[in-house]
Order: sequence, then C-alpha cells, then structure tokens
Amino acid sequence: MERATVIEQLTPVFRKIFNAPELEITDEMTANDVEGWDSLSHMLLIADVETAFSIKFKLKELNKMRNVGDMIEIILSKA
Amino acid sequence: MFIEKIINALTRQISHRPDHMAFCIAGEHITYAGFGNQIATIRQALRTIDNKNHNVGLVTNDDIQTYASIFALWMEGHAYVPLHHTQPAERSHEIIGQAEISLVLNSLPGGSFQGARLLITKDLPAASVLHEPVVVPDSALAYILFTSGSTGIPKGVPITRSNLVVFMDAFMAAGFEVSEKDRCLQCFDLTFDVSVQSFLLPLMHGACTYTIPHDQIKYSYVYGLMEDHQLSFIVMAPSMIRYLRPYFDEIDVPSVRYCILTAEASPLDLVDEWAACIPNAEILDFYGPTEATIYCTYYRYKRNGVNKQLNGMLSIGVPMEGVTGLILDDQRNILGKGEKGELCIAGGQLTLGYWKNEEKNAEAFFSMEYEGTPTRFYKTGDLCFYDAEGDILYSGRMDFQVKIQGYRIELGEIEHHAREFMQGNNAVAIPFQNTSGNTEIALFLEGEEESPARVVQFLKTKLPAYMVPTKFIFKPLLPLNTNGKIDRKALKAFLD
Repeated sequence: MERATVIEQLTPVFRKIFNAPELEITDEMTANDVEGWDSLSHMLLIADVETAFSIKFKLKELNKMRNVGDMIEIILSKA
Repeated sequence: MFIEKIINALTRQISHRPDHMAFCIAGEHITYAGFGNQIATIRQALRTIDNKNHNVGLVTNDDIQTYASIFALWMEGHAYVPLHHTQPAERSHEIIGQAEISLVLNSLPGGSFQGARLLITKDLPAASVLHEPVVVPDSALAYILFTSGSTGIPKGVPITRSNLVVFMDAFMAAGFEVSEKDRCLQCFDLTFDVSVQSFLLPLMHGACTYTIPHDQIKYSYVYGLMEDHQLSFIVMAPSMIRYLRPYFDEIDVPSVRYCILTAEASPLDLVDEWAACIPNAEILDFYGPTEATIYCTYYRYKRNGVNKQLNGMLSIGVPMEGVTGLILDDQRNILGKGEKGELCIAGGQLTLGYWKNEEKNAEAFFSMEYEGTPTRFYKTGDLCFYDAEGDILYSGRMDFQVKIQGYRIELGEIEHHAREFMQGNNAVAIPFQNTSGNTEIALFLEGEEESPARVVQFLKTKLPAYMVPTKFIFKPLLPLNTNGKIDRKALKAFLD
C-alpha cells in the first residue's frame, strides 16, 4: 500500500473519532495537538483504524507509537 | 513521628545512596541526590516568602519539581493542596477560597489562582544543602484532598501527618518487602490519594518511582514501563487493566512482585486473567475511602485457590492493622456475620472531618461506645457484610441501592449478570427518572451493539423482572474519570 493511500484512508477515521470534519493529519501530530484525544478516544481510534485497514495492532506497537507518522509506518508494515 | 518515619526515611536515602535513581519521569532519570537538591532549592525559595497559611496549593504537573514541592512543603511545616492541572479555574478558585490558600506552587508559568501568590518552582536559584525539617506537631496537616461533593461544591478531606504515619505503618504490616532494588509504578493523579502511597513507598525505601507523562496514553504507557523497566511493584485501578485486556496474550512481565488493585471493586474474572500476565506477582486488593487515608482493608488474592467474591467482585478482605471496621444497620446496631449493612471505619487513619464543613461532618461521622471506649466512626456509604471467616464482601454503594416498584435492588447484581452476558466486558447500571417521575434503570454495555431483546431475554433468566433494565446503551468503551474509575457521572449525564 502507498503512503498517500494510507493517509487518504486514515484521515476520515480521525475526522470521525475526534468529530473534526476539517482535520488534516500530519506525521508530527500527537495527542496534544488534537482536542479530545485521550485514553478513551485513543482506544476507539485504534479499533477503527484496525477495522479500516483490516489489521491488528500489537500492544508493543501501540506503546511505541509517538505520533501519527509512527502509526502510518506501522500500518504500512501490516497492510 | 512523621519527621522520623517519613521525612527522615527519605533524607536517609538521599544521603546513603545519592547516585541511586529516585524517579523516572518521561524517560528521564533523577537520582536521590538530584531529588534532594530540588527539595533544597524549593525550600530556599519558600523561606523568602512570608506565608502565614500552612495550606499551600500545588499544581499537579507531575514533574520532578512537583514531587520535590511536596517534600519541601512538608519539611517547611506546611501541607499541600493539589490543584489539578486541567481543572477549570473556577474549581481551583473554589478550593483556594475554602482552604484559605495564599500561596500556590507551580512548576510552569501561568494559571489563575484567585489572587494567591504564585511561586514558579522551575529555574529557581539552586540550593543543595537539606537543612533539618521545621518541627511541627503530628496533628498538623500533610495534605488536603478535595473530592466532588454531591451539591457540586468540592469537599476538602484534611489528612494529618499522624494519619499518614499510621497508614504507612499499617500498610507495611500487610507484609511487603521493599528494597532499593524495587521499581515502582506511580500512575495516579496527585489529586487522588492512592498517588501518595505510590510515591511514598519507593522513596522511603530507596527504590525508583516511574510516572506517566500527561501527554501519554496511560494504559499503553504503563505496559511499556512494566516491560522496558521490569517494574516490580505496581498499583493500578481495575478499569485501567480492563483497557489492556484485548492485549493480555502479549503481556508477560515476570518482574512484577506485587500488584495492588484499588480505587474500585475488582472483578474476579478480570483479576484471574491479569494474574497470568504477571505470573510471579502477589496480588492484593485494597479498599478504602480518602476519609480514612488511602486504604483501610485488603484481600490477598489466591492464585491457585478459591477467591471470595460477591456478584463477581473480589472480597475486600480484612481491616488493616489498627483499623476497626464495623457493619452497622441504620440504628447503629452492630450486625452479625452475613448481615448486610453500612461499613463504618474507626482508627488512627480517620480524618478529623471535612474541612470547615460541619453539616457534612454531622452526616458522615458519629461517635459511639465501642469496646468500652467512645470511638469516632466514618460512615463509608458502602454496603458490606462479614462472612463466617471475617472477610468483608462488598455489595456496592448505598447510593446504588435503588427502589423500584417498592423493591430494594442493588445495581451491582444487575451489572454482574450483564457482564456475564457481555463475556467479561464491562456493564454499568444507572438509575434515572422517567418522564412520569418513576425510577427506571439504564444499562450501559461495553462492546459491540447487540439487540436489546437478547440482553433482556438473558437477564430475565437471572433476575426478577423488576430488576431488568429498560434502556440499553452500547458503547465501544465506557469512560473513566481522572481517578481511573468508571465515570458514572458522565454516563448519567448521557441519559439526561
């Protein structure tokens, strides 16, 4: 899968979870940058990303995920 | 007592093992010497301030300056009053007003503190000599925690230095062996008293405390710390462990020697599964209201035996050393084994009463003759009973007892069966008033949407019809409050 395709598919998932129709994701983006990104919405985000890409994250991967760029890399390695 | 047992326990570690790690905060290690210097630095600044009031506000930034501030305040004879870093200014103002705070310590610039003087604790002129602590009596306060009151106005729970010493002694008497080799988790907000146990225990024993940065996702970060740093002593709320449940098959941390579960009732099935992730850990369930200093009863989980439970929730065990726990009826008669009533607590851990709140004190505390001595008790509001062997079974909050069609029902029982239907996922029952003013029960279920009819059908095989909820809300996850407990208020608000 292409990186651009991942971003294209990932953006609507973020927009839905954080209820932000205009949200643009960037590699450097972290939970601090997005209103409402807490432990609870993070769990929901992970579940929706897993469904959207038909993948399953490992806890180790979640733990090393420092920003959206890390998430994209992990998705690329799985999808 | 407080100076010898708490303050000197720390200063001994600072002088005996200066190069040993005291904290790991956001991946950065701080030695005992470094922590001592931070305390000395903040004390030096405190001494230049003419502050008449011993209650000092502390913004909970959870950095090294925040932790050092607690000890600096204690060593200067003051008490700390944590102000949550994300709470609205209005709530901070309410607390500052009630506790008559005239000085607030903050490691970061900014914030609105109702005219109180602000001391920024970062980048102060350095000091490195830890002078002898200012001597104040043990009846002086160690901290005041503000809990949410039912009226919307926070209630202050003042805990004395003596309360804290009595607690730490009783806690250690439960049989922990802790040394400088231990690596301990502190994952609780400083506005919640379990944090005090979580950082005091390692600091008194020369061990290292690992904390969670505010910008991290708590549950996965906790797991990362456990695995990367081979933590040996962890204290967690069951709801946090539940967030990790989808990943239990990946978790194997043999370094954990002790795991304390606290803050809310522990579901036995969850604990059974979690026990396999920490195969060498002794697991203890601790119970206690803030009013009785952190914990007051505990139950030792048996790995290869039968564990006591009620409605799927682990027993809260026996009172800690020095704690009296009685089950009373509403006429204050002591109930016998197996008889359900309100758990009432007495002993040296009990707060002197809510801060300047005589009305609440009259409601929550009372004195009665017990074993020939007039004794002051705190009414926990928890419905419990002693079993034949003297273990306490927790049945739920008294406020969760609801009358429906004249029947007195307990929400915990509904939740127990609902969790069974959800195959171990969480379920929370919340009473609400319907449009005709009658009480109905809504059931929040964690997991994928199911047909309510199937839930009803299942519950009808387990419960009498009047106990079956009438409203069903499926949520992918149930929200937690800042203490790591299920946020019942948020669920209730969802119904309104």
